[in-house]
Amino acid sequence: MVSTELKRGTAELAILSVLERQPLHGYEISRHIEHDSGGTLRFTLAALYPLLYRMENRGWVRGDWETSDTGRRRRCYKLLPRGRKMLAPLRAQWADLFRAMRRVARVNHA
Amino acid sequence: MPDWLAYVNNHLGRLPLSQAESLQVSEELAAHLEDAYLSLRAQDVSESDAARLVCEQIPSWQQLHRDILAAKSEAFMQNRVTQLWIPGLVTLFSAYALLALMQFAGLRALTSHPGEPRGIVLYLPWMLTLPLIGAIGAYLSRRAQATGWRVYFATSLPALALGVFFLLVFPWSFVVDPQVPLRIKGIGLAAMMLNWVILPGLALSLGAALQSLLKIREVRT
Repeated sequence: MVSTELKRGTAELAILSVLERQPLHGYEISRHIEHDSGGTLRFTLAALYPLLYRMENRGWVRGDWETSDTGRRRRCYKLLPRGRKMLAPLRAQWADLFRAMRRVARVNHA
Repeated sequence: MPDWLAYVNNHLGRLPLSQAESLQVSEELAAHLEDAYLSLRAQDVSESDAARLVCEQIPSWQQLHRDILAAKSEAFMQNRVTQLWIPGLVTLFSAYALLALMQFAGLRALTSHPGEPRGIVLYLPWMLTLPLIGAIGAYLSRRAQATGWRVYFATSLPALALGVFFLLVFPWSFVVDPQVPLRIKGIGLAAMMLNWVILPGLALSLGAALQSLLKIREVRT
C-alpha cells in the first residue's frame, strides 16, 4: 500500500511541475496533470485543494483571484521562489526512488 | 446548470475560519465543480450524468471538511508562533533581563508607601525603556503579518504573564497567610497589578502604538 506521505510527495511534485510552466487555476492544474501523465495521475477536487492550501501556507505557491472575460472568478495559482527551490530536491528524491525500484523490482521502461 | 456554490455550501458546512476565508474556499470549490461540469457537457455528456460525475469527485464531504481544516490550521499554527509567541517571548525576555540588569547595577524603585501593600513601586528608568521594547515586539509581530489584537498581545506579554501569575498565586496567600485580612490582601493584589501589569502593559502598548504610527507614516511617504 502506498503511504500517505508518498502519495503527497507525488502530488506535490506534480503540482509544482505543472505550475513551473505557467500559472493555473485548480481545475486546470488537475487537467494538466491528467493530460501530461497520460491519464495515469488523476486529481479529484477532494485531493487537490487541501494540498494546494498546504502548499500555499508553506509559501510554495500563491493563489490570486482573477476574473475572466466571461466574468467568472477563478483563483489562479503561481509558483513562488520557495516552491521553485523545492522542485530540484523533490525531483532528485523521486529519481532516486525510481532507480531503486527498478533495481529491486527489475522494472524496465516500456 | 446546477448552482454549485449553493451545493458546496450545503455539503461542506461552515468552516471555522474567518467569514471571508470560508467564502473564498466555497467559491473556489464551486468554480472547480463548475469547470468540471462544463467540460463534461462540452463532451456531450448529458446534464444529469455530468452532474453525477462531478459530484463523485467528493466521496466524503466530511473528510474534505477535515482535510481543508487541517491544511488551513497548519498555517494558523505557524502564524501563531511567528506573530504571537516569538515577539512575545522577545519582549518578555528583554523586559525582565533589562530590569534584572538595572537592579544589578543598583537601580532603586520609587515607592509611594514603603513597606505597605498599597505602595506604588516604580522603576522609572525601566518603565522608560518599555515603550522601546514594546515597539520592537510590535515590529516583529507586524513583520510576520500580524494585525490588531495580536500585535498588542505579543507586545504586552511580559505584563500579561505577570498578571496571570499574580491571579494564580493570589488564592495561595489564603493558605500561607490566613491571618492577613482579605481587604489587605485585595489592596496588595491591586497594587501589584497596577505596578507590574497595568503600568508596564500601558508602556509596552504605547511602544506598539508608536511603532504603528511610524509604519503608517512610512507607508504614506
